Amino acid sequence: MLDAKSPAEAGTYNYKVVRQFAIMTMVWGVVGMTVGVFIAAQMAWPALNFDLPWLSFGRLRPLHTNAVVFAFGGSALFASSYYCVQRTCHTRLFCDRLAAFTFWGWQVVIVSAAITLPLGITTSKEYAELEWPIDLLITAVWVAYAVVFLGTIAKRRVKHIYVANWFFAAFILAVALLHIVNSAAIPVSMWKSYSVYAGTQDAMVQWWYGHNAVGFFLTAGFLGIMYYFVPKQAGRPVYSYRLSIVHFWALIYTYMWAGPHHLHYTALPDWAQSLGMVMSLILLAPSWGGMINGIMTLSGAWDKLRTDPVLRFLIVSVSFYGMSTFEGPMMAIKTVNALSHYTDWTIGHVHSGALGWVAMVSLGAMYYMIPRLFGRELYSIKLVEVHFWTATIGIVLYITSMWVSGIMQGLMWRAVNPEGTLTYSFVESVQAMHPFYIIRLMGGGLFLLGTLVMVYNLWRTVADSRPVEAPIPEPAH
Amino acid sequence: MPIFSSLGLLFRPNKGWHEVKARKYGALQVFFAHTLPFALIAPICGYYGTTRTGWQLGAGAPMKLTTESALQISVLYFLAMLVATISVAWALYWMSRTYDAKEDFASGLTLASLTATPLFLVGFVQLRPELWLNLLAGLPALAMSVALFYNGVPVMLEISKERSFLFATAMLGFGLVALVAMIIVTVLLWGAGFAPELSH
Repeated sequence: MLDAKSPAEAGTYNYKVVRQFAIMTMVWGVVGMTVGVFIAAQMAWPALNFDLPWLSFGRLRPLHTNAVVFAFGGSALFASSYYCVQRTCHTRLFCDRLAAFTFWGWQVVIVSAAITLPLGITTSKEYAELEWPIDLLITAVWVAYAVVFLGTIAKRRVKHIYVANWFFAAFILAVALLHIVNSAAIPVSMWKSYSVYAGTQDAMVQWWYGHNAVGFFLTAGFLGIMYYFVPKQAGRPVYSYRLSIVHFWALIYTYMWAGPHHLHYTALPDWAQSLGMVMSLILLAPSWGGMINGIMTLSGAWDKLRTDPVLRFLIVSVSFYGMSTFEGPMMAIKTVNALSHYTDWTIGHVHSGALGWVAMVSLGAMYYMIPRLFGRELYSIKLVEVHFWTATIGIVLYITSMWVSGIMQGLMWRAVNPEGTLTYSFVESVQAMHPFYIIRLMGGGLFLLGTLVMVYNLWRTVADSRPVEAPIPEPAH
Repeated sequence: MPIFSSLGLLFRPNKGWHEVKARKYGALQVFFAHTLPFALIAPICGYYGTTRTGWQLGAGAPMKLTTESALQISVLYFLAMLVATISVAWALYWMSRTYDAKEDFASGLTLASLTATPLFLVGFVQLRPELWLNLLAGLPALAMSVALFYNGVPVMLEISKERSFLFATAMLGFGLVALVAMIIVTVLLWGAGFAPELSH
């Protein structure tokens, strides 16, 4: 039997794989953010690529995005979904060996990405740069993930499936669908393939994938984290369970249509662009459903704030979720997009979501989970506060500098003289960005610094500890 | 006078709020003696800066606005600041029941106006409207305003510090969304042809 375990193991949760993913979340977080800070410095001082191809911005940028989204974010999702599904289903993970395969398989994917991307091996599809052999491995790992997760739900000992698991399951299934459809390619050699789609269709499939990677990987999955860890940390039930179900289905339905807003004013048919814009505007409602639920759940926990700075991470993450899900639909409006597209405003928007929402809620979940996985109290509450303020100030610096520089960039690019010639050459706009790139670098640097403080704090927390074996309690009903 | 209280706040934020609270300013008093005059600083300095000093993007000659265009923008700017302050006061009033805070518009307006003092004052920097200079000067002012706000909510609205942290953070979320909305409205206006006119 594949799932052989000792009698002692049968009555405990599988914390081993959760611990492994939690530790790698912190490792990849530091790696991905460091690469980000380095390429931010390259934007300000291009000489930092040292004329080495594998240190050039074009190769390191996908390394940064893959490392923070799939390595850091992905490990955080694996860790928290495995933790949540076991605890809420009152059962051990389905098939320990398959769960171990998802861990080692995912690490191999990440390491392969870290080797191939700097070598310049890429499909050139944004957020799907990895070449076909790695794509096949991703598919295998992801199917195994779906089997472990859904298998655990299938053998649950409570009747009800908690809403966080709905979000995790939707994230797993949608990402499988997106990855398989978008990465379909014809290999021509070991490290080169061509997409099976051509021209505009290829672009549309790519951005159907790209925006749903935001919608399912970076939103649905992290809403799953929010729905488990926010009520846990606040010590209160979800504000409105009905709202969580309604906004779940609305979110699942609407996100699928929003992709074309990445292709405004391109060769994509105009009706498809307008449809993408309208669907993006509608998306505000289900997104804010989640924000309201998170904020209202936290609002009752004010009495715990004095002793619990981790709550602050969750509060700020939900606030930034609200802000960036407002900004996103607004930027999908064609008139706004005509200015904002291809500028740093987009980069600022992505980071208000990625740093403000995704990273803050993940770090909050790690602060909750890691001490419990090792049976320790957090080493220092004071350092959590230091981390909180460093990270928050970093985000503010990042977003404000990108707002100003992005809007300036857009205005400079479209400025014309009365006789119809362009007012500015491109390089003049690059020169005008310089001070803002330095401010952005400071913002990113502060965020990384905060994460390093957290790593030190967690290191001191778990050093010399023994892994916890948690017995599975009987369901209450 | 609310103006003196607000300047006192800059130096002694904690004690300052208790003094403001004790003075019990009325909504109209705060509006005419603080909000209105302070909100004039940035538009006037901005008008002067964008028409006389100008700003530089990259290596080109300094850019300036035509006086008509700058006047239009300054008036809109002035109105936007008044609307922003009043809408924060309104949102404070509207949300106060959720957080068991004092439901009183005058307290909300006093809090919103006096909190914005650093942001109002940093308007002087617009005499030199370089973007990076204004961003660098604006960020510490913003940080100070946020700190004033977190200190002011528990005092002015009579709730505990923990509860006020959540209230203030919810308000900060409101403020961020309002800020983004203002950027978007501006961009839409530009797109509709109401762009600033540059003089070369």
